[in-house]
Formats: sequence, structure tokens, C-alpha cells
Amino acid sequence: MKPNEFDVIIIGGGITGAGTQRDCAMRGLRTLLIERSDIATGATGRNHGLLHSGARYAVNDSESAEECIRENMILRRIAAHCIDETDGLFITLPEDDLGYQQTFVDACRKAGISAEIIDPDLARRLEPSVNPSLIGAVKVPDGSVDPFRLCAANMLDAKLRGGQVRLQTEVTGFIKEGDTVVGVHTRSRLTGEEADYYAPVTVNACGIWGQHMAEMAGVKVNMFPAKGALLIFAHRVNNVVINRCRKPSNADILVPGDTVCIIGTTSTRIPFEECDNVAVTPDEVDLLITEGAKLAPSLSETRILRAYAGVRPLVSADDDPSGRNISRGIVCLDHEVRDGLKGFITITGGKLMTYRLMAEIATDLVCKKLGVDKACETAETPLPGSEEKSYEAVAQKIWEAPTTAQKAAASRMGTRAARIRTGNKRDDALICECEEVSVGEINAAIDRLEVSTLTDLRRRTRVGMGTCQGEFCACRAAGLLAKAHGCVERERRDLEDFLQERWKGNFPIGWGDTLREAEYTQWVYKHVLGL
Amino acid sequence: MKYDVVIIGGGLSGLVAGITLQKAGKRTAIISTGQNALHFFSGTFESLQEPSQRIKDLFLEAGVRVHYNPGVRLTPMGTFKEAALSLEDIDLFPSEKIGKRVLIVNFQGYHDFFSSFLAEGLEKQGMQCRVRFLNLPELERLQQSPSEMRSVQIARTVDPLWEKVVQEVRLLLKDEDTVILPQVFGLADTSVPGRIRQGIPARVVFAGTLPPSVPGVRTQILLRKRYQLLGGTYLMGDEVVRAHVHEGVVHSVATKNLDSHYVEASEAFILSTGSYFSKGLVANPFRVYEPVFGLDVEYKEDRNAWYNPSFAGDQPYMHFGVKASADLLALKDGEPLQNLYVAGSVLGDTHPEFGSAAGQAIQSALFVADKILGL
Repeated sequence: MKPNEFDVIIIGGGITGAGTQRDCAMRGLRTLLIERSDIATGATGRNHGLLHSGARYAVNDSESAEECIRENMILRRIAAHCIDETDGLFITLPEDDLGYQQTFVDACRKAGISAEIIDPDLARRLEPSVNPSLIGAVKVPDGSVDPFRLCAANMLDAKLRGGQVRLQTEVTGFIKEGDTVVGVHTRSRLTGEEADYYAPVTVNACGIWGQHMAEMAGVKVNMFPAKGALLIFAHRVNNVVINRCRKPSNADILVPGDTVCIIGTTSTRIPFEECDNVAVTPDEVDLLITEGAKLAPSLSETRILRAYAGVRPLVSADDDPSGRNISRGIVCLDHEVRDGLKGFITITGGKLMTYRLMAEIATDLVCKKLGVDKACETAETPLPGSEEKSYEAVAQKIWEAPTTAQKAAASRMGTRAARIRTGNKRDDALICECEEVSVGEINAAIDRLEVSTLTDLRRRTRVGMGTCQGEFCACRAAGLLAKAHGCVERERRDLEDFLQERWKGNFPIGWGDTLREAEYTQWVYKHVLGL
Repeated sequence: MKYDVVIIGGGLSGLVAGITLQKAGKRTAIISTGQNALHFFSGTFESLQEPSQRIKDLFLEAGVRVHYNPGVRLTPMGTFKEAALSLEDIDLFPSEKIGKRVLIVNFQGYHDFFSSFLAEGLEKQGMQCRVRFLNLPELERLQQSPSEMRSVQIARTVDPLWEKVVQEVRLLLKDEDTVILPQVFGLADTSVPGRIRQGIPARVVFAGTLPPSVPGVRTQILLRKRYQLLGGTYLMGDEVVRAHVHEGVVHSVATKNLDSHYVEASEAFILSTGSYFSKGLVANPFRVYEPVFGLDVEYKEDRNAWYNPSFAGDQPYMHFGVKASADLLALKDGEPLQNLYVAGSVLGDTHPEFGSAAGQAIQSALFVADKILGL
């Protein structure tokens, strides 16, 4: 095989693409993943980070609920370092119908989800931030998951198994021989360099952008862009996921994650052109705050860190061009059977929670096409970093008496934290004080995790995700990146892009301490630092 | 407690007003939360042209040496910004060509000084740059804690070591005509930047670091000491929680630390509480307000109009400020309060005749002090 020939090309560096690459690599295939920007830039990194128990879907969509709880249990085993086992509550407020609780619990149990009605008093003790006026509570095995970490770990595992990754690389066209896709034309967004890659099978795992990719290949997939807006609060107000026990509605899930918590979401149909640049409106912000405070009243007094939005990759059924019949389930299209186009598969729909299952379905199809007979092992084999269950145990094992920064690193990298250079002053110096990220951890990410920009670095290490929103750490980290890449001029532009990206999430909630911080940052960068 | 004048806010404008009034024989107090914009001061006074003798004297008497030399300042990121007046250890150059060959010296393990950005910026202007790192054992101790290598901590350590810094830099120096060092000198001993300049046989330029700004913190300390030496009462780490206003006159304010003791002023109050960062202005989802007196604020009602989506663009919210009469008397419900003056960045852009930023802080403070003195 030539260096530009592979068994399978996967387009899309979201969790579906990364998961599919890992699965394909584990089945012995030579894989190439192509992503036009960075990992987890689409819906993967723009949701709650909720490890669904499936309870939310139990009443209306039992199939999704069953998928969720199965994958929930699997992810706890294979992705321990990406997961926080917080549990979840479904609370009934005085204005809600308490009668719904029993319907809900019955549906959960039918789907295999443990759902336990608990006394409101116990709920208040389990989660002191919960709205004290609740009249009912059900405990379910919800949790939180860091989608960036999960995506990076899948990609890393694929790489460790010989897979190749091209980030910041755009697919500009398909190479066809008759009715078969045999490869792709690409262009690097960093260097402008063009390259062709060949494989007998190409997987379209581009989420909402899959429609465009399919079009480029000459087939039609009808996607339905639905925007969901969310807010990140600057503190971890709750330790247990809080949901409303009623029919799914707007802004009724509050998820704790790392040092923050996230309220969401809304759901608005948007035109396709807006998918690349979704904005959060003041109305959405107001709704999220009002509804969020009903779950945990202290949210109305808590500083908001950012507003952001993602686009769900919903697919409308093939025989329904009106789009009324929208599936929230997994959609795997064999374009050979469906459209007569060989060598091309689309995997879309689904959720962050079911990425592994989606990858398994897509990989099964890839293997069938290639005549490979090897069973899927992704449900049993831990991701790199997740070989140990608790990060405290990991930190203890590596460092004996770990510092808080080392514990933080272990919670982010799992057992991979052993590769961080540490134990000396230079590597231990903190770059990001909000999230306690050291020089050593940043260099480890630059070495192994395909970092080309500060925003990439943020997704992999949490640099700039804390309360200062990158005010100081951005500059410091830019210095390290400039050194690693040997290009200061590029880093200067990168720093500007990073600050712009942070501001985009700040100004929709630009008041109180957020505006104070923003004023400070804008003043320092413009007037003092002279960027 | 009773004073002639009570100043709320201890940043540049509060201190300039306080010093001027004390010098003129008034009994004054400054109530300061402790943090202010001097802590991230670039060292240059924007929008202040040739300063009056009065401003020069005011600084000089406080031991703050400034020089007027219109030109460009080298920024920490290796770019240049125009300025006319600066602190003495901040150079203003006639052009971007600050030398031919430049040696940039940083401390090992110090990430808040951007030597690579400086080198790239200067090389773009046609200069040759070399970056070297100094390793001082005294700073190694600072690095025992992973977040101690910050400007002020370094400044506290290096002032007494200036001779060693000079020696080490001389060893590194080859044929360079210019040496760039981080602005971490002269915090406690203001003679240190000058001594370093004398000791190194090349032009020495001190370039900025991430905040806190050592020249800014030093300026704040010197002005505060001068104010206290003149007999002013500086209430540090305190803030006003309530104001007693009756029929258009401010009678007293209550502070957090002096809860039951009202602070009274027989002649006037000055509000110099800064902008959002210092909480002189507060924004909530519905409005921008002034938290101490509830003064009238010039701002846009539509929250969407507060921001420019471009980070680098001009931000409308930065122009909002407390409304004041032509005499800088604060307006409340459209009427001026008879003895409450406003100075500094809490004014926003409502009185552009006073300039902006540090220039506005100084000029509006002097204007207000003169009004109180009946000048």
C-alpha cells in the first residue's frame, strides 16, 4: 500500500468520527480521519456533556432510552477518566403534575433504567442546591461526560493503533471511479497544501454538515438543523444532575461538569447557512436563566461564564421531504443500497451518548464491505487514560503525594497523566491558574494530541475555560505554542482568534462580573499589551 | 468622622484630587477598595499632551518621574503604540527602529514576559534579535510554588539584586546596542531602573509584562505615600455601602469597615470609583447603574447595543458613564447634586473634553479639585 492509501477514510472529527476511527483501527483496518477544523468543534462539544441515563427519553422514545442506559454503563467502564458519576434527580415542582412521576418511573424501569422515587427531604440533602419547594424526586443513574476528552481519547487510541489524523484539512471533492467513491481530494487549511487519499470505503461522519458532504458525493441526505442554546455558570452549583420530571421541555437540565455547571437547552429550527456560526439570542439567555433558577434558585445569583449553542444533527426520514417525521435515533445509510453509490457510508443522527454504538454500526458495515470478519471490542476495551477507575487512585499511583495540580491533571488525562513531565520547577509552573494546568501538561498535549491553536489546546486541557476566560493563560500558552511550532507570527493571529472566540461566548451574557472581566481583558490586550 | 472633602475611590483620579486638596490645606479622606486601574497601567498617559507645570510638579513631588517625549512605546507583544507622556523608565522612541541589534533577556521560568513575541515584532522592523534567559538562584526559590513567578513577586526579589542582574547581562551581551528587560524593577527602590541603565553598556529598554504592572503599582504606592505625607487619610480595603442624601446634598456615607460611623464631608464628596472593573459602574441584564448614589448613567437601553461582536472593535459599553454637569457635579434624576463631583473613568465618555483613560483621570481630578477650592 502507498502512504496515501487506506482501508477506510473517515470524514469528521466529532465523537462519531473519532469513535468510528477507533473501532475500525481495533478491527485491524488502516484508517485516516479528516477534519476541516479541530476535534469536537460541532455538536460533540456543544451540548450539556450529560451522561444520559436514558430517563429523559423513557416515556416518549423507549428505543433511545434503552440505547442510552446500555451505553451509559459501557462508558463508565471504558471512559472512566471522561466521566463523573454524579447520579441525577428528576424533580417535580409545585406547578408540575406529580401524577407524571409514576408514568415516568414505570417507563424507566421498562427500559432497564434504575429509577427510585425518593423523599423530597432526601433529595434536598443529596443536592442542597435543588429548588427546596420540590414536591417529588426520582433518582436515576445520570452523570456527566467531558466530550472533548472523550473525543481526544478515541482519536488517540486510533493513532496508537496506527491510525492517521489530518486536522485542519478540508475535503474539497470525491474521487470516483464509475459509481464508486475511491478517495477524496483535500486541502490543508494551515498550509493550503492539496493532497489526495484513497480507500475502498469512505465514511461520512460530519454531523449536521453530513448533508453537504453527501451532496458533494452526489447523494441526498435531508438534515434538520435544530439549534440548542446553553449557559455555563462559573461555579459547580450542583453535584447531582437536576432534571424536571415532566415532558422534555426547554432549559430543564442542569449538569455539573468539572469546575462549572451547564443549563440547557432550547430548540430552534435554523436555516442551514447558520450552522457554521450559531449565535445565542438575548431571549434564549433570559429563558435559560429563568428556567434554570427553577431547578436551582442560586443560579439567579451565580456568575454566568459563557453562552454557546450547538446544532443537533437530526435526520428526516427518506420518504418524508416535509421533515415532519424526524428521527432522533441513529441513522446509518449504505449509499450503495440506497443510491447505487458504492464505497460511501453516512453515519449520523444519534447522540453523544450513543457515539460508540453508532461507530460500531458504521464499522460493522465498513467491515462487511471490506470482507473483514472481526468482532467489535470497543464496549470492553478501556480508552487510553481510562485503565483505572478513579483519578485520585491514578494520581496516587503516579506521584504518591500528588499536589492539587497533579490531581487536576489526572482527572483530565487519567492514566496518561503519567506521561506529563513533572516534579521540577519548570514543568510544574502553572500556565492556567483557574484550572491548574501546568507547563508539563500543556507540552504533553502539544506532543501527543494534535494541537495547532490555543482553542485546540483549550479543548484538550481546559486552558482558558475557567473564570478568567483566558485573560492571562492565553498569552502564556501562546508563548509555549510559538516555541513548539516555531512560528510567532502565526501564534499572534492565533491569540487574536482565541480572544475573539472567548468574547463570542461572553457578550451575550455581558453583565456583572462577566463584563468586569471582559473590560479588563479588552483593556489589557488593546492598550497595555498592544495586540 | 468629619472631613472637608471625602473622596470615594483611591485610583489615579482619587489620588490626584486628594493630593491637590491636601496641598491646598483641606482635610480629606480617600475610601479605597484597594484595586484600581493603576495595577494594569501601561506606564504611558494616553490622551495627555504636553503636561502643565502643575502636573509635572505634582508627580515630581511624589517621586514619580515622568518625561514628555512624544513618540512610540514598545508594547509587551512587540508592537508599537503612540504616546507623549510616560513614566521615566518607560521609553518613548521617535520611531519603531529602536536599535540595530537587540538582546532580549528574560528570567528562566517567567511566562508573563513575551520574549518571542518581542523578538518577532522587532525583527519585522528589520532589527536583529537574540533571546537569552537569566537564571538567578533567588528566583529559583520563588519557583518552589508553581504560581509565584509573577511580576510583583519577582519585583520584590530582584530590586536588591540589581548589581547581579547587571553583571549577568554584561556577560550575555555581545555586539548588541540595545538590551530589553522585563519591567519588574524599581518597585521598592525607584533608583534601580536608572542604576541598571548606567551599568549596562547598551541602551536598556524595559518592556511590559502581564499585569500587575510593576511601574503602575509603584506609581500607586508613591502617590498614596505622598497623599498620606500631606496628612490625607487613606482608608484602604474599605468601600462605601450607603449614602445619606437629602434635598440634593450628600451629608455622609457609611462604609463596610466603619459601619456605624458615618463619614461626613463639610464641603464636598468626589466620586472617582472607576468603571466596571472597579465597580464604579455595574451592569445587570437590564441596565447599567452607579451603585453608591444611584446617579444618572448615560447608556443604551437595548442590551444588544452594549457590545461590538468583534473583540478588537470599539466597545459601546466602555463609553457609558455617570452623567455630570459642565462643572462635573453628578446628576441624579436630571438634577445636579450640590456637593458631589465626579472624576476619572466613572465618567465614561460623557465629557470627552477631559480625554480618556489616564489623561482623563488626571485632568478631571484637577478640574474637580479646583472647583472645590473655588479656583
